[in-house]
Amino acid sequence: MPDFAVLSSFLVAAVGLAVPLALAALGETVSERAGVINIGLEGSVIWGALGGALGSLAFGPYMGLLSGALAGAAAALLFAVFAVWLNTDQIITGTAVTIGSLGFTGAVFQSRFGTTGVALDLETVPLRELPLLSRIPVIGPALFDQALTAYLAYAMVPLLAWFLFRTRWGLALRAAGESPEAAHAAGVPVVRTRMLAVVFAGLMAGLAGAHLSLVHTGTFVENMSAGKGFIAIAVVVLGRWRPGGVLAAALFFGGAEALQFALQAFDADLPYPLFLALPYVLSLAALAGWFGRSRAPEGLALPWPKRGPQS
Amino acid sequence: MNRHLRWLPFVSLVLAPACGGDAPAADGPSVALLTSGPVSDAGWHAGAYEGLQLIGDSLGLHISHQQTRTPAEFDEAFISYAEAGYGLIFGHGFEYQDAASRAGEAYPDVTFAVSSGSRPSENVVPIIFGLHEASYLAGMAAGAITRSGIVGMVGGVEIPSAKGTFIAFEAGVKAMREDATVLETFIGSWDDASAAKEAAAAQLRQGADALIHNVDAASFAFFQAVREVREDGRTAWAFGMNRDQNDVAPDVIAGSAAIDIPKIFLQTARAWQDGTLEGPLFTGLAAGAVDFVPNPAQRGVIPPLALRQIEEARLLIAERKLEVPRIDFLEPAAGNPSGS
Repeated sequence: MPDFAVLSSFLVAAVGLAVPLALAALGETVSERAGVINIGLEGSVIWGALGGALGSLAFGPYMGLLSGALAGAAAALLFAVFAVWLNTDQIITGTAVTIGSLGFTGAVFQSRFGTTGVALDLETVPLRELPLLSRIPVIGPALFDQALTAYLAYAMVPLLAWFLFRTRWGLALRAAGESPEAAHAAGVPVVRTRMLAVVFAGLMAGLAGAHLSLVHTGTFVENMSAGKGFIAIAVVVLGRWRPGGVLAAALFFGGAEALQFALQAFDADLPYPLFLALPYVLSLAALAGWFGRSRAPEGLALPWPKRGPQS
Repeated sequence: MNRHLRWLPFVSLVLAPACGGDAPAADGPSVALLTSGPVSDAGWHAGAYEGLQLIGDSLGLHISHQQTRTPAEFDEAFISYAEAGYGLIFGHGFEYQDAASRAGEAYPDVTFAVSSGSRPSENVVPIIFGLHEASYLAGMAAGAITRSGIVGMVGGVEIPSAKGTFIAFEAGVKAMREDATVLETFIGSWDDASAAKEAAAAQLRQGADALIHNVDAASFAFFQAVREVREDGRTAWAFGMNRDQNDVAPDVIAGSAAIDIPKIFLQTARAWQDGTLEGPLFTGLAAGAVDFVPNPAQRGVIPPLALRQIEEARLLIAERKLEVPRIDFLEPAAGNPSGS
């Protein structure tokens, strides 16, 4: 059954491309719920990829995942110190962190492995088939014959949903994002909450980067984040700031990217860039509220405390 | 004044190393290189960087390199190098042509060399490497070693110079095996490693067992895809492109369609010093600028008979008796809009 093989091959590619988006976007969901938009996410992804590669070379792939996550968190901490603690403009600071990270990771890679580069052959994190679930026809092998990172992304969805909407800490975090004044008046440490949320997002984005180098490709390439941090921010919008929606949106973006390969492989004479644009169009539609009520957290990207004339 | 503004210098400190900034001042006759991707790709950009180093070492010229990402940065970098007194500026790729033409008009005393460029003028010199000739020979090798009869090509952005190497490669495959299926995927980026990996994996899943790429840094992931499919017990071979990549992944590469970029850059710089540099500059197999290089670590992969046929084709191409299909991306003359 060739059609069946084509479909499952497409799904494997779609999930493979969706996992890093899902990891980074789930982290960013928490950060944005706390009122901070982290354009520096791309920087955390590339630090995660490099940290993962170096960690894996020294201590093996699982420690590589950990060191990648920590490297991503460190980049996010730098962003948080400026954008949250020192209250600089979130967009400008995030852009600085991203551009700086792409440059610095390249410099580190070149100083360690030579200017003209080396094709690292990294030990990858093995795939672990989940019993029973992976036997589900068509979607089973795509979703449940994956590495640890994919299962982490799946597990994060109920965990984050519970944390954000069922716990007091989650309520405080959302309050810091919706109305930092009210949260502050109610005794929520807004700055500390926001900083923690941003660092968590960096941790997840770092894990996404480590997934790229240690699960998906088994090598490190300068700029290999290739915009995934930015796409993750669009994924959060399309997922309407809800963990379940965000995972679905990530799968959708992954599917759109996988579709271009499937279409080209079969010589379909369709303009594949159109399919690449589709998820972004839908993200815009989501922002415009075409899919029911959805809005960004009220305090998103706004400075706290408010910048006054003599503050 | 907002008290937070005092932190701005630190933010710009973070930004500065990545932004290139102004070109360093030229010191005597100086040569600069612009690449649109990292030179750590062990391929297209690395070759250019090695060429720049060779110019510095052999001719004793002052050299400088900058990585530029966007067309706006291309213009910016050309101008800042020209202003800083650089006499010869390489823009390494088709994408630099427009910016080089603009800068060429503004700075008539500066020479701009554009790799795979399309529009020559008085001081803008396109360098046409003729890589399609080597790519044709690589295609012959791929046609000889494929067992499934399915061959794959993974490209970056669908620009004429890249597309041209694939057309020639496909013709080479068909010359050896007429019934072969040749798959082609462009990933829309030169260094998106996971896209290259996924594109190669998709072709391998379709049964391809001999694959060539024309990407830059993303090639590392392309080679990994071939390695991975071997772990499943299949036989598959990769081909290197743009630079002799045989030592980049010696276990999976059967051979490379390579350009000797350092040699051509050095010749270009010498001609520029002598005042004899005129464009467009055509090179190819006959000039020894490009070649198909079988991987010395994998002798025997390409059968001896096929190697002899490749050698015959190499001679025919060099003597202009065998025409390799190509894309002629050179426009006839400046001001004449009818391209080919």
